[in-house]
Amino acid sequence: MPTVPTTDRGLDIGFPGRISTHKSGGRDLWTGPLKELPADRMEATWAALDEVLDPELPISLVELGLIYDVELIDKIAIVQVTFTSTACPCIEFIREDLTDRLEIEPWIKKVEIVEVWDPPWTTKRVTPAGRAKLGQLGVGA
Amino acid sequence: MKELLEIQGLDGTGISALRRLILTLADSKRMMGIRYSDWLLGAPSIEAGIAVSSMAQDEWGHARLLYAMLKDVGLEPLKIEHERPAEEYTSVGALDGTFEHWAGIVAAMTVVDEAISVALLGFSRGRYEAARTRVPKMLAEEEFHASLAKAWYRRIAESSSKARSLLRDSTKGLLPPVLAWLGADDEAAKAMVTAGVTESSKSMTETYRDRLRDLAALVEVNIDQVQPDSGWDKDRARGPGCPDEDAVERVRGDRNRALLVE
Repeated sequence: MPTVPTTDRGLDIGFPGRISTHKSGGRDLWTGPLKELPADRMEATWAALDEVLDPELPISLVELGLIYDVELIDKIAIVQVTFTSTACPCIEFIREDLTDRLEIEPWIKKVEIVEVWDPPWTTKRVTPAGRAKLGQLGVGA
Repeated sequence: MKELLEIQGLDGTGISALRRLILTLADSKRMMGIRYSDWLLGAPSIEAGIAVSSMAQDEWGHARLLYAMLKDVGLEPLKIEHERPAEEYTSVGALDGTFEHWAGIVAAMTVVDEAISVALLGFSRGRYEAARTRVPKMLAEEEFHASLAKAWYRRIAESSSKARSLLRDSTKGLLPPVLAWLGADDEAAKAMVTAGVTESSKSMTETYRDRLRDLAALVEVNIDQVQPDSGWDKDRARGPGCPDEDAVERVRGDRNRALLVE
């Protein structure tokens, strides 16, 4: 069962449940850089992206289904990302978090974020792992 | 699937027409957002205020994506968004002024927002790739606007005679400028239909009338008998007038100009 980074602090201040403690993009939980160059850089790139949390929900952007594609050309990572809504107020945070996380890895020198809207994101794109984590928080998807 | 449009293949008339089409959609979205924002506080219930707040946010998100398309036709979106006077806005004239009562904004979310969606639907079915790939998400978000609009429209139409009268008057006032905007059939509009970028004004107007007919009938408005405003200005791509200066100052972000970080 996937776990969600949470605390019981919410109970102290009167909230009925747990609240997330993750910092922007989950920075306090990021691992890396990898000590050795990965054999499968694409797989390692996806694993790194899976550490970047949504700014509002404690699940990753990969689990939310927001990352549509990744391409590695030399040391450039081209990430196709969409957003839950066209007016998502966190667009700039997300772009920054994705870029910062990938650039930790020595085998990625530059990140290009490509904003895509096709196909439109819906909750159907949330992965089973993401769905389970949201379920732990009482959020249906 | 229609073949994608090659913008480089458009002549000067075609480029101008595509600029105009993108701009009128983007400006209308932005003004729609401003009009929703006028009602963030002052709606009949907190829930209704939150709903228009969310809709205002959506409209600005849609405008952002539409303005970004202007790069494809050689315009700089930031200048367009932040440096134009009110007279250069090509938004649908029905959004030029504030709405004095809640029935007015409900009529606008029904009559005007729906018209913009119909225009976007035509755009999304055309050959311009950016419209094909970005507009469907906007239309998906607009479904929530339409649901709320219909619910409130019915609610007011079925309430007191005074409320129904306000809704009727607002509807009657909004339809002519909206029909003039959606039904514009000048040279630029025809150029976009010929290039396969959007659908004909006749077809879009029919779709629009079909979508609104039953709702308008609730307040005794026969949409098939409403005529578009005259006075379409093909050079300004809109009817007479322009948005009020206060709204445009907010749209441009004049007060926060020094903080612009884009």
